Amino acid sequence: MELHDVLIIGSGATGGMAAYTLTRLGVKCLMLDAGPPVDLEKDRSLRPVSDLPYRGFGQPGRFPHVTQANEFNANVWADEKQNPYTYDAGAPYYWVRIRKIGGKTLLWGRASWRLSDYEFKCRDHDGFGDNWPISYQELAPYYDRVEPLFRVAGRNEGWPQMPDGNLLPDDSRDSGSVQRFIASAKRLGVPTTKPRRATGTLASSVNLLLPEALASGHLRIVPNAIVREITLDRATGLANGAHFVDRRSKRDFHVRAKVIVLGASCLESTRILLNSGIANSSGVLGHYLFDQFYVKNVVQCVVPEARGGKGGRSLMGGGGYIPRFRNLAKREKDFIRGYAYDFGSGHTPHPRYVPLYGEALRKEMQELEGAGFAMTTMGEVLPRRENHVRIHPGVRDAWGIPVLHITQRYTENEFRMARDSMEVAEQLCRGAGFEILGKHAEPVPPGESIHELGTCRMGADPRTSVLNRYNQSHDVKNLFVVDGSAFVSGGVQNPTLTMLALTMRACEYLVEQKKRGEL
Amino acid sequence: MKRRTILGSALSLPAAWAAPAPAQTAPPPAETAVKLAFDSPEAAAAGVRRFFDETEFAALERLGRLLIPSAEGLPGAVEAEAALFLDFLIGQSPAERQTLYREGLRALHAAARQRWGKAFAAVSDEEAAPLLAPLRQAWTRSAPHDPLARFLLAAKDDFWQAVANSRAQARALSGRRRGASGLGLYWHAAE
Ligand SMILES: Cc1cc2nc3c(=O)[nH]c(=O)nc-3n(C[C@H](O)[C@H](O)[C@H](O)COP(=O)(O)OP(=O)(O)OC[C@H]3O[C@@H](n4cnc5c(N)ncnc54)[C@H](O)[C@@H]3O)c2cc1C
Repeated sequence: MELHDVLIIGSGATGGMAAYTLTRLGVKCLMLDAGPPVDLEKDRSLRPVSDLPYRGFGQPGRFPHVTQANEFNANVWADEKQNPYTYDAGAPYYWVRIRKIGGKTLLWGRASWRLSDYEFKCRDHDGFGDNWPISYQELAPYYDRVEPLFRVAGRNEGWPQMPDGNLLPDDSRDSGSVQRFIASAKRLGVPTTKPRRATGTLASSVNLLLPEALASGHLRIVPNAIVREITLDRATGLANGAHFVDRRSKRDFHVRAKVIVLGASCLESTRILLNSGIANSSGVLGHYLFDQFYVKNVVQCVVPEARGGKGGRSLMGGGGYIPRFRNLAKREKDFIRGYAYDFGSGHTPHPRYVPLYGEALRKEMQELEGAGFAMTTMGEVLPRRENHVRIHPGVRDAWGIPVLHITQRYTENEFRMARDSMEVAEQLCRGAGFEILGKHAEPVPPGESIHELGTCRMGADPRTSVLNRYNQSHDVKNLFVVDGSAFVSGGVQNPTLTMLALTMRACEYLVEQKKRGEL
Repeated sequence: MKRRTILGSALSLPAAWAAPAPAQTAPPPAETAVKLAFDSPEAAAAGVRRFFDETEFAALERLGRLLIPSAEGLPGAVEAEAALFLDFLIGQSPAERQTLYREGLRALHAAARQRWGKAFAAVSDEEAAPLLAPLRQAWTRSAPHDPLARFLLAAKDDFWQAVANSRAQARALSGRRRGASGLGLYWHAAE
């Protein structure tokens, strides 16, 4: 049977980046992904919502944990019946998955921010949790290379908590409502900036990473290959391949490889490792699950001057970002760490905010068309050992593979932060002269931000971490885990850019090690 | 042979049905893939009530008319056949949602009987106003404790979307403004 140089598991952001980096360095790779390929030309078409059988509502009950699902994109998400998981009663976890070639990058929002030493060295700042085994300076050169690849646009501000990037400059003019909001933020000492986002409507593994890797002739991709476990050579303690199941036929296969790069997404990678019974001499595998909590539409406002269709492009539209500003120089609140906001102008508020019905509701909704301004909080979640995943002893997926039981609860630190974010958001909007239609401080359930992190954390000490500073397993030297499971803390920044930079770094290190004969 | 059969039957139809057949054109090469046009069932037929009983459905229809009346050439719940659509949608929904609707409609009906001595389906707009008071409460994130209030808020959202995304609305808005057709990028099922 063929022995592959590197087996990459997963074709999303991190698997795609692994293939891109390794094949550029001449390494021959085999990639397995659980999902089918998507033909973006044939598998998508424009359709009017009124022609859909459920008028856009989608089939009721099909995705109880995917609030992002709608009738247009329903066929993209992983089927929850075929891919079950469990959680404690009363503590739901919303696990949002895409099992297709390209993974979640098929639909991601492309917001791309760097972490800073407020995250990498978080313990040094406030004494909570653990530092990463790397500093910002070590990852910066990789961020510098990933950003142009994803054509990230934004504005550099020179802030320590939001390091500058190698960006396409965004010099676009702000609309009047955004300018008023920025002025209000300035008066309160709250920083604002442009969104920072990969440009292009897709910016996915399937168009930015995999094509070049395939063109090199060094990559082969097997879709519909659901990895069940990684196998070890008992004599050497090294990984020697993986068992996988063909999604369609359920036939079992084994593939042999010299090195394995696991990028099946945060919780799937940890599930594979737990099911394999490897890489866990520390007992930490599965622990320290965290994400970022979102308070969606923490305030929903109306810009009064835009009522009745008077907004126009000069007043309405656009948006921006507020980076973390709490607890930077000193502890200033009854919580540690901080939160960021996205804000946007120019939408029509949902009718649920309007306490009317009938003709009066219709009239008011006409008045409000395009006059909305809203903010969403993205808050840091503290990594805690008790938040964890484990293999459920009885439940299996449609392919007979044991599933995860997920335990994650937010704590008072997150709830206090959420309340503070609501109060500040209200002040900012009132200061801009906006009318507040609604405000709240209720985070979405854990998982819903789709930024799940941790459970296979890096660290300098093999007794308290699973991976070393290069995403390499302390226990199994030829195993690298490159997705969000490696994170030690997450800050408020959307995490994918950091995953991509870490993957590039890990894969280059892998090749160096190989050259030196140390793998 | 086939053509003759078609013509034969056409001749026996009443005059209005018997438009002259267009001159026959040469058929395309048999290998050519031709794209056919299709319609959705709602474009050609009416849905059939299956879930709510007659009293519940009558109350639901009345509620729809109150929540979203037609206006200025725009369809309301009636023109959008929103109640029939919700009968279908709620009929397929998880039990909790079905209970919310069933109990809500029964509570509305009972409240109308108690206050006005008639079915909710028969109340006037003025008589309905006190029964729909929860819809005039300012928005809060947490759902109200009162099941009737919870139902009314859910029904308002559902009727709004059922009307906004209806064929009637698409027809009314077509040509009026850009982006009004509700076009979206639909992902087909893989394999
Ligand atoms: C709607 C949406 C918006 C988002 N917006 C943003 C954003 O603005 N900014 C941001 O930073 N992040 C965002 N994200 C998150 C981002 O997409 C993920 O962080 C990123 O894709 C994670 O990369 P990954 O490689 O770990 O996982 P994925 O991209 O999910 O790829 C994992 C791949 O592994 C495969 N796989 C899973 N299990 C197995 C198995 N057992 N065997 C073989 N293959 C397997 C899957 O099929 C999948 O293709 C968003 C996500 C979504 C869905």
